[in-house]
Amino acid sequence: MNTPLHPSLMRVARDIREIVAEQVAYRELLARMTHRDLLLRYKQTIMGVGWAVLMPVVNTIVFSVIFMRVAPLDTGMPYPLYAYSGLLAWNFFASSLRFAVTSLTANATLVTKVYFPREIFPLSAVTVTLVDSIVGSVVLAGLMIHYRVAVTPAIAMLPLVVLAETAFTCAMALALAMANLFYRDVKYLFEIVMTVWMFATSVVYPVDLVGSRWGLVLRLNPMVGIIEAFRSVVLRGQVPDATQFAMAAVVSFAALAAAWVTFHRLECRFAESV
Amino acid sequence: MTGSIVVEGVSKKFRRGEHHDSLRDLIPSIAKRVARREPASELGDDEFWALRDVSFEVGAGEAIGVIGPNGAGKSTLLKVLTRILRPDHGRYAVRGRIGALIEVAAGFHPDLTGRENIYLQGAILGLKRAEIAARFDEIVEFAGIGEFLDTPVKRFSSGMNARLGFAIAATLEPDVLIIDEVLSVGDARFQARCLARMRELRARGVPLVFVSHNLPAVSDLCSKALLLNGGKVVFSGGVAETIQRYGRDVSASINRTRPDAAIRVTGVQLFGGDGVPADVFSSGARATVRVSYEATRPIDAPGFAVDIHRADHVYACGISTWNDGEVLGVVSGRGHVDLEIDRLALTAGCYHVSVGIHRAAGIGAAGGPALYDLLQFIHPFTVTSDRGELGVASLGHRWHHAAQALEVQ
Repeated sequence: MNTPLHPSLMRVARDIREIVAEQVAYRELLARMTHRDLLLRYKQTIMGVGWAVLMPVVNTIVFSVIFMRVAPLDTGMPYPLYAYSGLLAWNFFASSLRFAVTSLTANATLVTKVYFPREIFPLSAVTVTLVDSIVGSVVLAGLMIHYRVAVTPAIAMLPLVVLAETAFTCAMALALAMANLFYRDVKYLFEIVMTVWMFATSVVYPVDLVGSRWGLVLRLNPMVGIIEAFRSVVLRGQVPDATQFAMAAVVSFAALAAAWVTFHRLECRFAESV
Repeated sequence: MTGSIVVEGVSKKFRRGEHHDSLRDLIPSIAKRVARREPASELGDDEFWALRDVSFEVGAGEAIGVIGPNGAGKSTLLKVLTRILRPDHGRYAVRGRIGALIEVAAGFHPDLTGRENIYLQGAILGLKRAEIAARFDEIVEFAGIGEFLDTPVKRFSSGMNARLGFAIAATLEPDVLIIDEVLSVGDARFQARCLARMRELRARGVPLVFVSHNLPAVSDLCSKALLLNGGKVVFSGGVAETIQRYGRDVSASINRTRPDAAIRVTGVQLFGGDGVPADVFSSGARATVRVSYEATRPIDAPGFAVDIHRADHVYACGISTWNDGEVLGVVSGRGHVDLEIDRLALTAGCYHVSVGIHRAAGIGAAGGPALYDLLQFIHPFTVTSDRGELGVASLGHRWHHAAQALEVQ
């Protein structure tokens, strides 16, 4: 027997069809917008992409002093390697969101004058930061050579890890850009939340050290699984913890779908609210 | 692909004033929404209809002019057509790629150069890089920004901005063209090129929506028109009738602000040589301009004037009773004055009649209220000609050739 789909499911299916059709129609635009953002970065700053490297390097030095001299910590690998890998993966997430949160409000002239899928703005913020992170990974390669860490076949899983992180980053970027358009204090709240979030993720220390009481909350945070998986495939030469990574990936893609459909539905109200 | 536009009963409401909510307002506003689900067809507090039940269609090769006072909803309508805003009611369908220029400045990125913005805009219009590259030189040439191509757009003048915006919208092979007030900036030469370009696209079958306060240009370019006021369609029909109607509305509102207007124009009609009302004349034909008036009290010797302007505002001719030494005596009640023109010696094109009623004394005197009533560009008409004369005046002419034979020795 053919059961007709629930109307709200039909609507989601239609939304997804529209989203895909729009992305296909405007595929050139994302590339161009990313190109534009990269171009502006190079034009208006002397360091250009150097900033992408400098931030994690300085942080790595600071945390290395803290966790090697002040409060020594066992992370199962040379600490600078642990910290830099964590910061590289975290900065991709955090910097993307920092650009994304104001991406719609900063482009008000375009939003009110021309039509095109608005998700281009937050998504290009993510793509730009992805380019930065690829540059930043050169330093990681340098550290790996210095500490004589060999690359193993587990690296083949790296694209999957990057994909999961990108999905989650895009989900958050869409949600934040939209939220900040309707409620302008989101960008202030964002900074506070990101600081707390970083210390609730295994960026500069293994988060298990915080205590098992927070275990459940931390497990729902997909960034823990993603950053651990990143370290596993790149530094430890291991396949990531299957349950932890699978869960992080599922949460990431579910969040992306939910954020994108919501964004698509509210998009038509952006021009009058910006 | 041939584009088309269909709009059916479109309404759009706006909230008055600025409303950048802060998170603090989120909870009360949710509570309010749950408590009182207002239907979409009603207005909430601080809301108003920016568009109310607007319907029209534009097919292949048609051009519709959208006219009306400021705040009538013209730009909102265009933003609905270009999908920037979504209407609260009604349906609309725009088929084909839209080339649009909204509120003069296109959606440029101020920090990028002209060149980069051309590619960005092209991508926004959904074009491939190669397609934009193929049209690049044409855009630059049309916009006339050659030497500033690598200057950030934020250093452009508003005229350059509009030129580039129009050049992009009109060059990147749109299926539908939507142009808002491009003629309010830019010099006469650019305006003429814009109009020529829009005519050319229209001739190719591209449907055109043209918003402008430049009524001669609207009547020159468009086949039909929509008169908006307060978000509603006040009148729609042929471009000439719609402009006349708008002129009447404007003059009615002018007269209300002139309590001393003891005599006013109530209508302007054009007749051909056969005495039949006409809008189209062949060059050199006889024509009559009839100015109907109504006086609320006896007026001593009012002066009547008729001006003719070409669509691009070139002043073609000005005729007045006082310059002709014509004295009308005391005028009261209703009546009309006929200006009979023996030869409408104008070249082919679109023209407009403006009429005015002036005081006998004080005409042209500095500071004196010389005017009773004035209706500018009230009545458009067209002159046709099979002679290829250019300019404004059609001078009766013939050529003679006297060859001087060389004396060969």
